[in-house]
Amino acid sequence: MALSEVFQTTFFLTLLSLRTYQSEVLAEHLPLTPVSLNVSSNSAHQSLHLQWTVQNLLYHQELKMVFQIQISRIETSNVIWVGNYSTTVKWNQVLHWSWESELPLECATHFVRIKSAVDDARFHEPNFWSNWSSWEEVNVQDSLGQDILFVFPKDKLVEEGANVTICYVSRNIQNNVSCYWEGKQIYGEQLDPHVSVFHLSSVPFIRKTGADVYCEVSQGSVSKGIKGIVLFVSKVLEEPKDFSCETQDFKTLHCTWDPGVDTALGWSKQPSQSYTLFESFSGEKKLCTHKNWCNWQITQDSQETYNLTLIAENYLRKRSVNILFNLTHRVYPMNPFSVNFENVNATNAKMTWKVHSMKKDFTYLCQIELYGEGKMMQYNVSIKVNGEYFLSELEPATEYMAQVRCADASHFRKWSQWSGQNFTTLEAAPSEAPDVWRNVNSEPGSHIVTLFWKPLSKWHAKGKILFYNVVVENLDKLSRPELHSVPAPAKITKLTLDQRSYRIWVTASNSVGTSPASVIVISADPENQEVEEERIADTEGGFSLSWKPQPGDVVGYVVDWCDHPQYTLCDLQWKNVGPNATSTVISTDAFRPGVRYNFRIYGLSTKRIACLLEKKTGYSQELAPSDNPHVLVDKLTSHSFTLSWKYYSTESQPGFIQGYHVYLKSKARQCHPRFEKAILSDGSECCKYKIDNPEEKALIVDNLKPKSFYEFFVTPFTSAGEGPNATFTKVTTPDEHSSMLIYILLPMFFCFLLIMIVCYLKSQWIKETCYPDIPDPYKSSILSLIKFKEKPHLTIMNVSDCIPDAIEVVSKPEGTKIQFRKSLTETELTKPNYLYLLPTEKNYSGPGPFICFENLTYNQAASDSGSCGHVPVPLKLPPSQLGLMISPENVQKALEKNYMNSLGEISAGETSLNYVSQLALPMSGDKDSLPTNPVEPPHCSEYKRQMAVPLCLASPSPTENTSLSSITLLNPGEHYH
Amino acid sequence: MKVLAAGVVPLLLVLHWRHGAGSPLPITPVNATCAIRHPCHNNLMNQIRSQLAQLNGSANALFILYYTAQGEPFPNNLDKLCGPNVTDFPPFHANGTEKARLVELYRIVVYLGTALGNITRDQKILNPSALSLHSKLNATADILRGLLSNVLCRLCSKYHVAHVDVTYSPDTSGKDVFQKKKLGCQLLGKYKQVIGMLAQAF
Repeated sequence: MALSEVFQTTFFLTLLSLRTYQSEVLAEHLPLTPVSLNVSSNSAHQSLHLQWTVQNLLYHQELKMVFQIQISRIETSNVIWVGNYSTTVKWNQVLHWSWESELPLECATHFVRIKSAVDDARFHEPNFWSNWSSWEEVNVQDSLGQDILFVFPKDKLVEEGANVTICYVSRNIQNNVSCYWEGKQIYGEQLDPHVSVFHLSSVPFIRKTGADVYCEVSQGSVSKGIKGIVLFVSKVLEEPKDFSCETQDFKTLHCTWDPGVDTALGWSKQPSQSYTLFESFSGEKKLCTHKNWCNWQITQDSQETYNLTLIAENYLRKRSVNILFNLTHRVYPMNPFSVNFENVNATNAKMTWKVHSMKKDFTYLCQIELYGEGKMMQYNVSIKVNGEYFLSELEPATEYMAQVRCADASHFRKWSQWSGQNFTTLEAAPSEAPDVWRNVNSEPGSHIVTLFWKPLSKWHAKGKILFYNVVVENLDKLSRPELHSVPAPAKITKLTLDQRSYRIWVTASNSVGTSPASVIVISADPENQEVEEERIADTEGGFSLSWKPQPGDVVGYVVDWCDHPQYTLCDLQWKNVGPNATSTVISTDAFRPGVRYNFRIYGLSTKRIACLLEKKTGYSQELAPSDNPHVLVDKLTSHSFTLSWKYYSTESQPGFIQGYHVYLKSKARQCHPRFEKAILSDGSECCKYKIDNPEEKALIVDNLKPKSFYEFFVTPFTSAGEGPNATFTKVTTPDEHSSMLIYILLPMFFCFLLIMIVCYLKSQWIKETCYPDIPDPYKSSILSLIKFKEKPHLTIMNVSDCIPDAIEVVSKPEGTKIQFRKSLTETELTKPNYLYLLPTEKNYSGPGPFICFENLTYNQAASDSGSCGHVPVPLKLPPSQLGLMISPENVQKALEKNYMNSLGEISAGETSLNYVSQLALPMSGDKDSLPTNPVEPPHCSEYKRQMAVPLCLASPSPTENTSLSSITLLNPGEHYH
Repeated sequence: MKVLAAGVVPLLLVLHWRHGAGSPLPITPVNATCAIRHPCHNNLMNQIRSQLAQLNGSANALFILYYTAQGEPFPNNLDKLCGPNVTDFPPFHANGTEKARLVELYRIVVYLGTALGNITRDQKILNPSALSLHSKLNATADILRGLLSNVLCRLCSKYHVAHVDVTYSPDTSGKDVFQKKKLGCQLLGKYKQVIGMLAQAF
């Protein structure tokens, strides 16, 4: 049995050694050749994918081998890449390997072959390469289709700055192909007659939606089409910056970082980069959902050290950043809470707060900041859970703001945020007496005392001042002091005191207590007003005052003044000066240029009695006078006049008036004595007189010429200049002889007046002598005579009985002066002849001999006109109008206003021209008859005698055939008889 | 395929929501009855004219908005990249009978509807920030749907045509981005041209 076991063992050992030997021999002598090489292409990734197996490997044998791969382009001899690939090969294993082409695979045929060698340390003999496999061809062009042009690569994703190779395949070599990259033509190299290649180096990021590359194929000048691709250029993924993690509760780590640029692209070509946290000790990983922060859960209390890696990743690149830290060193405490103040009084308070508990024995370092009164104080304190701090040396009645923040006391890393609260301390009694001053106005029998005080500073008030107590004590008479309580915020009170001495206490009170008293004494004696006022000037923004020290003991000096002396409430100010001082500078922002400030300097005796020592007055800055005086001209004579402005106030001016300038203008070139020549601002010349005394407010201007024109202008001046420009006032000196004229004219006037009086008294006599009344025929005595003789026919002429406008030639005169009379006498000697005064339309042919009659009685106005009593009558009257006028009714109307001479005045048988009637002018209502061609009055003949002839005597009856006048006057056929 | 399922197929279903829709339909005999779920309006032709006018009024603006959003070289090479060279576009004969014209209009609207669906889908991915273009594309697609419904009502109610053979615009989901942009531009150029003619014809 034992023998058989030994035999079996020996057999197996022999067999095993034989097996090992056999395999070694096989490996050394049988070539391990790559077989079944299969090459596929991936156009999207421009890669060739190789698969093969190794022949002659033993079962379960693992060998380390190296494979050499050759890649040719277009033809096998054009090897473009050779490389080795080492790996451990197992029996029957299919090996994979990829190669990425920079040239799109569609643009060229590729060939691949492979050979192998053993690269295992177990083989001591030198390796030898197997034979090359046969070339495997990869031709993608065949599957493109029949389009005329193809451009590659399609929709390629590259990183900014990468180099990109673009190619096109043109089916027809006759076609001309031009390619453009973002609108600019690009030039490449021809790979074969159908294929051209373009190299774009360092492509920039243009837009998220990609940049177009397009090629236009054309035949001659005819475009056959455009083909293109979109190149997606991504921004370079940046390494995350400022990566840090911290915890506020030892439960969560809060990690933050700055992600940099977003590399997302359109067309979903590339999303935004992703972020992942990886902790190397625990091996845990977390994909972050936010791009700049991520929370990491702390699960193991025992892990204190963390090695966190943040990985940023997109389709093209992966970037990472790493931090290694101890958790206890990364504590960022949460804000303190429940901040409160306890036991707050006037000067101290206790501040309390709480913090979030972290873990056992965790100590916080807390920092307190206290803000108040414009100051900040800082305190540090270490606490466990509840914090408190005693705030002391606080100011009463003051609002403070206290805030606290905490950090890890053991490993300080970062302060928490502030947590704060406001509180106000309580009030305390005022610590200082108010600063009091007074103004005393003495009136008969009393003193009006106005008390002023300055509000206590917040420092001294120590709370809100509620009122001021004024206690008045009579020093000359034993009496109970009077208490006056003045509510705040009043700063003034007025007391009326009799002319005794009084001591006045002033205190300020708040809700807690009363301040020390301020004492002032009002003397019974009136204030010394006889102190001379001294002028001072402002120096460097303030008034420098000095005074002679008061004899005797003084407790100090007080200078008072008004900030606004121009107003009734002048805002009295005062300044306390020590007893040893004899000068001070008063400076305040209230001082304004052009305002006169009056300062009074008082000495305060030990008895608190104020004694006026000196008065000062001055301007912070003198200005030129704001107005000119109103000047009156007085005592105007032919040689002089006086100018006066006595009401001009020199006190209310914006500077000390130093005098006046009087400007005088006259036609004379030479200035008067005392005047000097000056040039005005407008360039004109004048004479100027300067008055240096501001109180001299009159000037006699003499040596003037009579009846001359002068202009003057008076303006005051200060150290800053003259008053404003204004217009000159005009003065004309009177004539020297004008008074003499009065002596002549006055008697003449009285003489004339005397004559007028005499004339008036003798007017009746003058009238009767010079122009007696015309007798009224109705009132004539002849009427009574006619009645007495009872002759009814002999009565006063009736107007209606008269023939107007005709002259009856009663008898032929011997020597005639009128030409037309001759023709009349020749034609009708036996009949009464009528001479027609108004020419007819036909027989008048322009100006000619004309006759008019002077008849002052009938037409006085006409006679006055100077045209021989003839009124211009339209010479060419239409027949109708003439007819209207000579109709009996119209004529009658026209004559109604005329008086007729009585027959008694007619001497029958006289050879003369007898006036029959006068025809009135057409009435104004006859518009059509207005003269259109008024003519010049012709020569006139005159007659000396005029009379009215009754129709019954002078002419035949109208019923008889004696209508000659009418026939002659009117045009026959157009008018009626 | 996902894109196809998300874009074109729902659109086609919407366009042919009727029972039996989704495949090319033969013209029914004249005397066949149409089953329409909703009654047709009386003034269908007026509505059709109005919708065509509305589309015609906005077609040019849509075209401009599209090629501007594509960037270079599109705006400066409109004749080469956006010419209306769509080979399989349904024909239209303006001098035909109203029935023939309506049938042709139906085919065109179906074709345009699918084309707009493809363009809208592509542009939402390519130009996610071009909101005004998306809005205009959606508004045009809405009007096309209404027009299709009205044309079908008219065909059915007056001419008893319930089924019309239709063709769809080519699916662009497998094409590269440049081709999608170019095809979209060509289709919108064709749409601008055709819609003007249709508005005139009706």
